[in-house]
Amino acid sequence: MAGKEIHCMIVTPERALLDVKADFVSVPLYDGELGVLPGRAPMIGRLGYGELRIRKGSTTQYLYVDGGFLQVRDDTVTVLTSRAMFDYHITPDAVRQSMEAAQAALKKASGTEAQETHRAAQDKARAQLRIAAKKKS
Amino acid sequence: MASTRVLVKRRKAVRNIKKITRTMELIATARFKKAMDRASEAEAYTRKIAELVTDLSATAENVSHPLLKKHDEIKNEVLLVLGSNRGLCGGYNAGILREAMLALKRIGEQKITPHLELSGKRPINFFRFAGIKAEQVYTQFEDKPTFAEVEPIADRYIKGYMDGTIDRVEVAYMKFMSASTQKPVIETLLPLDVKTTTAGKGPTTRVAESRKKTVEYEFAPSASDILTQLLPESFKVRLFKCFLDAAVSEQIARRVTMKQATENANDMIKALTQEYNRARQAGITKEILEIVSGADALS
Repeated sequence: MAGKEIHCMIVTPERALLDVKADFVSVPLYDGELGVLPGRAPMIGRLGYGELRIRKGSTTQYLYVDGGFLQVRDDTVTVLTSRAMFDYHITPDAVRQSMEAAQAALKKASGTEAQETHRAAQDKARAQLRIAAKKKS
Repeated sequence: MASTRVLVKRRKAVRNIKKITRTMELIATARFKKAMDRASEAEAYTRKIAELVTDLSATAENVSHPLLKKHDEIKNEVLLVLGSNRGLCGGYNAGILREAMLALKRIGEQKITPHLELSGKRPINFFRFAGIKAEQVYTQFEDKPTFAEVEPIADRYIKGYMDGTIDRVEVAYMKFMSASTQKPVIETLLPLDVKTTTAGKGPTTRVAESRKKTVEYEFAPSASDILTQLLPESFKVRLFKCFLDAAVSEQIARRVTMKQATENANDMIKALTQEYNRARQAGITKEILEIVSGADALS
């Protein structure tokens, strides 16, 4: 029977970060967001970087994840990621700095591969900032 | 008969050593617990990755990935030796180094160029003394290796393997079997073997595997696409697990050794106390005899 809630687990190589029940989970897949509601068909997907939302009742938790994999099965969402952060753990100043560094490097970089890495770093930093900004509003 | 003062001094020295070993034992115990917690927390990730690999390889039959492919001719082999930075942990380093030396000998016999990489000051010193050059040395791994630290090493191996500059990667480390048994082993990490990747630690993994087989998954993007991403990750995790295992085993080894040392010190204190008491009593008896015989001579 499809339950009314889903079980959401976020696992990083170093520890199991989160293990909660939720009504709705939204994950950043490699090509866009994917929302998971109870009763979703099993799936395995590749994650991109961006915002992960977990809604339970009227409270929503925001996290930043940086790549990884998603497994949905029996109303259990497992997120495997090498890096995950709660919104309140993001320090905007440090992120802004790394973004500026990436921007500067991007200007100087030659060759598509190097440009790609720096652009990705910049985008990742931007995504983190967006999540951090959301917390305040 | 040793003089009592010398005995007292020695006993004091042993007592002080005992205090140190006892403290080291306690520290190692605390560290071991922490390292153990980290290892068991990391286990969830390893297990899940292994699960995904199984699920995917069941769907995407005959996958070919450069990390899975065995190189026809093995010319360059990386041997990574994980030892400790500090000593006083009994046979921990000796066991690993023995395995590593055997592996080096085997590599030499097969006419393969070994690329030695060492982690920990003890192995570094050992190989320097043995006159074997190491290509890379790491001393930053203590009892808390982080994934971020291990990842660059893994990335380098993956790149080397894809380029063909590395044909095999082996790791010599102390494998953690249980809290009471650890074994020095050599493990081949590359080429990746899907079977060993999935055969994780403990029976739970196997149960999970057999249960999972029947689920039909949706894939985004395709199964083989995900697998190409997943395999390097799986390799990284395995390497990371080696580091974690090594950290846990080191602390256990240190704890056991220090416990032994404390016990030995206790025995020694006992023996010295006994000897001291005998010496003291002998001295008293001698003095009484002298007094008595002196008194006898006078009367």
